[in-house]
Amino acid sequence: METSLILGDHAFESRLILGTGKYSDADALRRSVVAAGAQLVTVALRRFNRERPEEDLSAVLASLPGVTLMPNTSGARDAAEAVRAARLARDLCGSRFVKVEIHPNPHHLLPDPIETYEAARILAREGFWVMPYMPADPVLAKRLEEVGCVSVMPLGSAIGSGQGLRTFDMIQRIVKDSRVPVIVDAGLRAPSDAAAAMELGCAAVLVNSAIAAAADPPRMAAAFAAAVRAGQEARQAGLMNRSEEAVATSPLTAFLGQARP
Amino acid sequence: MSADLACLMKPAGGPQLEAMARRALALTRAHFGNTISLYAPLYLSNHCPGGCAYCGFASDRKQPRRHLNPEAIEAELDAIHALGFDEVLLLTGDRTVQAGYDYLLDGVARAAKRFHVVTVESFAMTEAEYRGLVEAGCTGVTLYQETYDPGVYERLHRWGPKRDYAFRREAPARALAAGMRTVGLGVLLGLADPAVEMMALDQHLDELEKRYWRGGLSVSFPRMRPQQGGFEPAFPVSDAFLAQLVFAFRICRPEVPLVLSTRESAAFRDGMAGVGISKMSAGSRTTVGGYRAPAETGGQFEVSDDRDVETFCAMLRAKGLEPVFKNGDRVFLALDEAGTRSVC
Repeated sequence: METSLILGDHAFESRLILGTGKYSDADALRRSVVAAGAQLVTVALRRFNRERPEEDLSAVLASLPGVTLMPNTSGARDAAEAVRAARLARDLCGSRFVKVEIHPNPHHLLPDPIETYEAARILAREGFWVMPYMPADPVLAKRLEEVGCVSVMPLGSAIGSGQGLRTFDMIQRIVKDSRVPVIVDAGLRAPSDAAAAMELGCAAVLVNSAIAAAADPPRMAAAFAAAVRAGQEARQAGLMNRSEEAVATSPLTAFLGQARP
Repeated sequence: MSADLACLMKPAGGPQLEAMARRALALTRAHFGNTISLYAPLYLSNHCPGGCAYCGFASDRKQPRRHLNPEAIEAELDAIHALGFDEVLLLTGDRTVQAGYDYLLDGVARAAKRFHVVTVESFAMTEAEYRGLVEAGCTGVTLYQETYDPGVYERLHRWGPKRDYAFRREAPARALAAGMRTVGLGVLLGLADPAVEMMALDQHLDELEKRYWRGGLSVSFPRMRPQQGGFEPAFPVSDAFLAQLVFAFRICRPEVPLVLSTRESAAFRDGMAGVGISKMSAGSRTTVGGYRAPAETGGQFEVSDDRDVETFCAMLRAKGLEPVFKNGDRVFLALDEAGTRSVC
């Protein structure tokens, strides 16, 4: 079974991807990325700031060894805006990765499936490694896979809501059908949510608010990293099947000497 | 939601207010993180034909009038940009010969060359006018109804174009219909019963949310401060009640940016930052040309928190809040080199 997370031409050992908004300062962000052992981090283009380097989150992260930047298009309301943002971000930081994030409503921040599909189609054709933030819709996941996305990133619940894996059943279906890595993005509150996503068969999780808004972000980042590893280990070790009934370790009929069915 | 809001605005004792503050803090942190977005106001002109009884720029106030010429606008924008800001709010009085729609449009186009986020707080406009501003690079409109009580509105807006209550009430909808990304609403606290006013504001937000689901909404909490002309607010709002209004709004609308300006004192702003409030102005000058020269004229209102940007940011950082200067990008607007919006 593969041990690395393959995205584009990269092989990542870490399966915890970090968002970079909401931190109280650049140092808390930097220490959290290190504590998480994260190798892929996403930065909103709108937080790139070439005029004020001390405010430029992309510069903060580019200075960390072994960290790959994935710009995201947060702030875009439609495909055209996202495409422009992706192209500019690639010019600024040189990364082929892009997280397509299109939420037309700035309050609930839920992704627009139609515009996301359109932007992903255009950007994949231009050679981007597209990772779309998307509603947990199994059909949309296959459509995005078909246009060349290197992963799909269904939401667990709304951004920043901390509601956890509300879309569990849909993500299960997406994982079952997908030929590209499935990464749960948004809504996770606790490390146990991340472990559950990995046990379910997700290839990675993307976490921001749960770590950034914790009282001790680096410590929470480390806790998430441990949970992601535990969930991945458990998945590879082979989780036992669920059963509606208790199954005795010493069967009641053992005395009959019959071979087990 | 409205029933909850009404309930949360009932007079509260200390323990209840403290509980509301804790909830407001948790919700603000969950949605906005440990950050405060910053913006700076730029008063382009204090000419005004209006007769708003509470305003320092009303036409019957003895006040030197001036407006910035294009060179002065550029210089003020440079000064604000040098302070680190990336979001600027352009303000004027109601339409005059000196500072009408074309004047404001020119100001927006100049600002959009330097700032990623450009918003205006000016007179109520037609949809076509708002569309023109959008095409020049304007991303948002702030327009306070001042009061949602039509009788009080008529009494206080003694003359001028602003007397038309309905035209102003519908202006935020026209701005969103024209493609404006955000609109900011507010009532001028002190003019009428604040709880009733905030319920009407909440209703206005509900309407806009349903009609323009892409629109970003924000709420400000301007409170009557001492003005030239000695206007005394009929319903003065205490610090504790203003805080309660902010907490109530945050609890009922966890996702809406709530804004507090330098009208309020340093101590009040320090206490509210991140506790419901997610966006603030800093280092503000409310006089025309105030960023480069000492004030020769009176402001629209008196700045109560006169700390400079650096001092204000140091306070935020000491509270574990990151001041965010840039939280947008003009790439989303598709402005070309000439500053004209193109279609991708």
